[in-house]
Amino acid sequence: MGELAICRYCDTVHRRADVSVRATARCVRCGSPLYHGNADLSAMLAVALTATIAFVIANAFPLMTMSVNGRQTEATLWGAIVASYDQELPLVAAALTISLIVAPLIEIVLLLSVLVPLRAGARPLGFSWIMRAIHIMRPWRMVEVFLLGVVVAVVKLMGLASTVPGWGSFGVIVMTFALATLGSFDPVALWRRADEVRA
Amino acid sequence: MTRAIEIGLVACESCELVMRAADPITGTCPRCGERIDRRKPNSLGRPLAFLIAAAALYVPANTLPIMVTEQFPLHRTDTILSGIAFLWSEGSWLLAALVFSASVLVPMLKLAAMGVLLFTSARRSSWRPRGRTKLYRVLETVGHWSMLDVMVVALLAAVVQLGRFASIEPGPALIPFAGVVLMTMLASASFDPRAIWDHVGPRSVHERE
Repeated sequence: MGELAICRYCDTVHRRADVSVRATARCVRCGSPLYHGNADLSAMLAVALTATIAFVIANAFPLMTMSVNGRQTEATLWGAIVASYDQELPLVAAALTISLIVAPLIEIVLLLSVLVPLRAGARPLGFSWIMRAIHIMRPWRMVEVFLLGVVVAVVKLMGLASTVPGWGSFGVIVMTFALATLGSFDPVALWRRADEVRA
Repeated sequence: MTRAIEIGLVACESCELVMRAADPITGTCPRCGERIDRRKPNSLGRPLAFLIAAAALYVPANTLPIMVTEQFPLHRTDTILSGIAFLWSEGSWLLAALVFSASVLVPMLKLAAMGVLLFTSARRSSWRPRGRTKLYRVLETVGHWSMLDVMVVALLAAVVQLGRFASIEPGPALIPFAGVVLMTMLASASFDPRAIWDHVGPRSVHERE
């Protein structure tokens, strides 16, 4: 029964057919996406590595620099979290930490720990656990929302002082697109690959 | 077009393995270990509870200030709406429209749309199932974008720390606002869209096309 796909929106049973890369198979009854074309494992690995580098840049460099009367302040991702914690908003700080650091980091690390061994022809350690963790973590990652947040913040500050986006923002942009690309992978393809490796 | 429930099939929610299962389903996916269910548990009661919580939080989120700006000698207190009006008056119409969509329109539409989905599912309605499914997919996609304002305020507070010259502090509306977003996200996540189709006869599907 491995060749069946059930629509998770309307419960209609479909027979799986091959779809080209980047194409999406849709449910015949409700029109919802069923699955995406199988991405090449090497391509996914390359995108995951790009996301890793972008994650480091986004965290290491300031998102924006503001200068008033010769004084400069920089906002880093971590600085935004610390600021909300200092303003006695630990809940907001926790929400930001989860959606901007923990969720993307876990997703990147977990994907790499699956992709690297699969690419090398080995079954990853704790494969089923990792795949479930990725599935659970994904809805809580909000890097793309943060990207728009940086844009809004920069524009709001323009009236107050001269504000320049920094390298950190570049990291956020790249990470957003890399994670979006990785998000559309078909888990069934990875499972099939893992089952082949074991056999 | 056969539905999985009619022929005793079920797919694992996590790894999408399709398996045969007898009712009542107990146990876990043989491939990945995820708990197997034909439908999400209590798929009307749970979203309704989250929806009520979201609607209650919506009031303080919109009436309390979300951001306090000190720019000597000015002292500005902004609610979400006044912040948008400020952006608009500064001439940033596109951004004002974006923030308005993310912070005001999306939460309001989410509350209304979730209400419609729950009401029609509870009444076992067969009204426009395709359209309602589409509505649900839109809810899933736009849900987290409302976090925008929370992130903007946190960023501004982080960057504007110029001592007595200027500072930006998050206001008391930030937590209820983040709460609204979280609750509406949980509401749509705990709703089972298959409930929309469970009371639709096989014929009525194409009558609406």
